[in-house]
Amino acid sequence: MNATSMNSTSMTTTSLTTASLTTTSLDGTTTTELSRLTGETSDRPGDLRLVASQIRFEQRAFWRNRSRAFFSVGFPLVFLVVFNAINGSHRISELGGISYATWFVPGILAYGLIMATFMNIAVSTAIARDTGILKRIRGTALPPWVFLAGRIGSTLVTAAVLVGVTLALGVGAYGVTIPTSTLPGLVLTIVVGTICFTSLGLAITCVIPNADAAPAVVNLLVLPLTFISGIWMVLSGAPVWLDATAKVFPVRALAHGLQHAFDPATTGIGVEWGGIAVLTAWALGGLVVCLRWFRWEPKR
Amino acid sequence: MTAAIEVSHLSKSYGSSIAVSDISFSVAVGEVFCLLGPNGAGKTTTTEILEGYRQRSGGRVSVLGFDPATGGRAFRERIGIVLQECGVQDDLTVAEVIDMYASYAPRRMRTDDVVELVELDAKVTDRVRHLSGGQRRRLDVALAVVGLPEVIFLDEPTTGFDPAARRHSWAMIRSLCELGTTVLLTTHFMDEAQALADRIAVIAGGEVVAEGTPEGLGGRDRAQTTIAATIPRGTAPLPAFGALPTAIEQSSDGEEQLLLHCPAADTTSVLHQLTGWALDSGVELGSLSVTRPTLEDVYLALTQDRPDTRSIPTTNEGQEALR
Repeated sequence: MNATSMNSTSMTTTSLTTASLTTTSLDGTTTTELSRLTGETSDRPGDLRLVASQIRFEQRAFWRNRSRAFFSVGFPLVFLVVFNAINGSHRISELGGISYATWFVPGILAYGLIMATFMNIAVSTAIARDTGILKRIRGTALPPWVFLAGRIGSTLVTAAVLVGVTLALGVGAYGVTIPTSTLPGLVLTIVVGTICFTSLGLAITCVIPNADAAPAVVNLLVLPLTFISGIWMVLSGAPVWLDATAKVFPVRALAHGLQHAFDPATTGIGVEWGGIAVLTAWALGGLVVCLRWFRWEPKR
Repeated sequence: MTAAIEVSHLSKSYGSSIAVSDISFSVAVGEVFCLLGPNGAGKTTTTEILEGYRQRSGGRVSVLGFDPATGGRAFRERIGIVLQECGVQDDLTVAEVIDMYASYAPRRMRTDDVVELVELDAKVTDRVRHLSGGQRRRLDVALAVVGLPEVIFLDEPTTGFDPAARRHSWAMIRSLCELGTTVLLTTHFMDEAQALADRIAVIAGGEVVAEGTPEGLGGRDRAQTTIAATIPRGTAPLPAFGALPTAIEQSSDGEEQLLLHCPAADTTSVLHQLTGWALDSGVELGSLSVTRPTLEDVYLALTQDRPDTRSIPTTNEGQEALR
């Protein structure tokens, strides 16, 4: 028996003998009789099939956990409704008199995407690491990259749901128009932004010491950036240094990219290439951090 | 090759602290082998090296012909691991979790058979979140065996169980062995080792201090038998039974404690002489007992002098990033 004999990928020929399995309790009576314990034999499962099945299991677990689903997806929608109730009748003079919703919907979409990707994957991965789920998975035959691909894939599905609901609400309830000529900019910003914040969500778990600290760390990073990135209010009077600071971070790049695509005054295909570059850089940075420092076991 | 697991001169240190200094043992295919020792003795470190979680500092290990540190997917397809306290996806049902872990292996048991084996058949549609502690532990076993592993690692499988649940789980582990599965068990319960293991290695202070069958561990099968009884004070001097020294200790209530030590093989003969003498001289032997050292006596003798105070990390202190 040696390792090389097992390296072949064709493992189809494993046949299992029928065994009789009996559980005998102390007084000698038979409590369980499994007379036909035959293994179902098949190929080593294909990687892509495994990724798809991991996404399905992750999605099922995600939506079943109501509080987790609410904080990732429902929370931003609550802000959408509340802020529109307060400011819905305003027009924004600094931006050529567009309706409040036309400015606010893309901003809250950015915030929602950050919650559904960054916060969602960071907190749930920190919990999975603390409770030992990651360690248990690491001890199975599931390739680690397949597990992470399943998590990332599931997060992307959740993000897609959030985009759909937010836009439907914006159009249906607040009279926002989905841009047509700038649609490429909208789609590209959503795709790159989602990938960026998913990557950063996994990367931040390398820094988060334990599951209890996860929401605090995430909020500490996200909330101040959303304020200086012009999601909650128009920052026409902000000092230059603050704006320059915000431009370094991906929150502003995502929010501005979306606001730019929704702005009726925007010409061309609506892509803010500078912002796309910032998002891409952060996405790659997150990936490097994950590859170097991702931990499968809790720090004790 | 009949050895499923081979460990020779294994050592592991975390910085200056030594968790395992020199451990060697070998486990045959189909055998239940138990690492028995106090907390912090190096059991979990040894097991986690064999499971592929930790890098060893020195020595050689082989599991099913693989080096666990580099065995990767082909190795993990053939082993099953039951870790100490370990979470699982709480929002899925029992059947879903079993199906999920089954999907990782090239061959699998049917879900129906697995839940019957671990007696969770009434819980298949329950969320894992709603299981009791004992039920979760049985689910841990289910997830480890669903891929039909050839070697199963059980790290303290019954810690925290009530006595009835422990007996139940022992029966379940025995039934796994009937499938020909090799089992490496760690425990600090002597009765568990005695009930399940074909062979036991006692580990203390990062070393194997004794190895053998539950009956023969530490020379237990060759140890002396002690025959004890009380006799009335002032009884005439005793004959020398089988030329053995006879100890008489003063005890309360006008009685004396009689203690005879003899080789295990002479027990019947010495006892016969003693009771014959007692009948002939009309002496009543009170509280007559015949005892051999228990596994616990042997274990405590083997482990009591070991310094157990050195700090031995049980998880990944020293930042071993698993990737």
